[in-house]
Order: sequence, then structure tokens, then C-alpha cells
Amino acid sequence: MFQGQRGWFCRSVGGELRQFWVAEGGSISDPRAADFLFSCDASHPDTLRIYQSLDYIEDNATVFHAYYLSAVANAEVKNSVALGHFILPPACLQKEIRRKLGNFIWEQDQHFQIEKHDEV
Amino acid sequence: EGNEALFASCFNYTSCIAVGKSLNSRNFSKLLHSCPYQCDRHKVIVEAEDRYKSELRKSLICNKKILLTPRRRRQLSSES
Ligand SMILES: [Zn+2]
Repeated sequence: MFQGQRGWFCRSVGGELRQFWVAEGGSISDPRAADFLFSCDASHPDTLRIYQSLDYIEDNATVFHAYYLSAVANAEVKNSVALGHFILPPACLQKEIRRKLGNFIWEQDQHFQIEKHDEV
Repeated sequence: EGNEALFASCFNYTSCIAVGKSLNSRNFSKLLHSCPYQCDRHKVIVEAEDRYKSELRKSLICNKKILLTPRRRRQLSSES
């Protein structure tokens, strides 16, 4: 699913989501070279650095919540998950957005856990 | 949930133009800005982020000016 794609992961993202990315053919890269920027915490210093970058200001860097990956992992048709649902805006904007739109998609469900397959 | 309906218009559009070219962190924002059918949800997020970006841009320009003004530079060098 992510063959040939480079992903950057904030340290707020759990190891199992990274592993899923790699298992699906993605590679790990630095933020400048990444095709995808993933974070689980908009106020983590790693992610703050993205929000303060020229790439972000010039509309060349959208941060996505890494729960996109668990939604993909849990979906019956993997590429049916809409990436655009998972935009992660800067923390200082989230309260206002939540007031207008309700909770973010990653706050609504508890099923964003990759099912742990018991290893034998 | 009504969420799907809210998303529908602009997702049909973005998935349309994204055929052959997949969405990612690099192209998403520009695609969304060019989307004529922005759904309510994306409209709110885009507006908030745009405001944040323009404030950041202003403060960057400000910082640059402070650094580049000759008098300021002289001040800085005489202080040190
Ligand atoms: Zn939309």
C-alpha cells in the first residue's frame, strides 16, 4: 500500500504504527524528504518544528494524525480510508475547530488500535 | 454519523484530481485550497490554518527586518 513512499514520524507516534508503515512498503525519512508527515501529538516539539517550517507556511506540508495508519490497517479495503479526514492542525487551533465541528475523527472512536495478532 | 455527508463534496473532488497522483503531505494543502467544493469541515480547518500561517509569516518578516536593518545591526555590533 505504501510502496515507494517516504514517511516522517513524530516521536509521539507509537512503534506499532511505524512498523505497519514499513510492513506496507513505506520507508522512514527525515521531514524535508518525507511524502507523509505523521504525528499523534500536535504539541510535541518534533511536530511543532513542522508547523514553524517554511514548508508548512507555504502550504507544502500537511501533518496527518498517525491514526490514519490504524484506520488503514483495520479497513477491509485499505485504500478506501480518506486521508483528508486525518489532518492534524496545530494545537492552538484545535479548541476553536472542535467548538465549530465537534471532536476530531481520531477522538471519536476507540477502534484506532491495531489489533495485536498474538505471536506464536 | 453525518460526518460522511459533510466530507462528501470535497472528497469526491480531491479523489477525482488525485487519480494517478496520490494525496500526501506535500500536495494536500494546495489541492484543498484549489477545491471549489470544500466541505464545511475542511473549510473551517483551512481557514484556521491559513490564519495561523499568515501570523507566522508576519512574525518571520518582522524578525528578518530586525536582523537586517543597518542601524540595528550597528547597535548589535557595538553592544557586543
Ligand atoms: Zn472536505
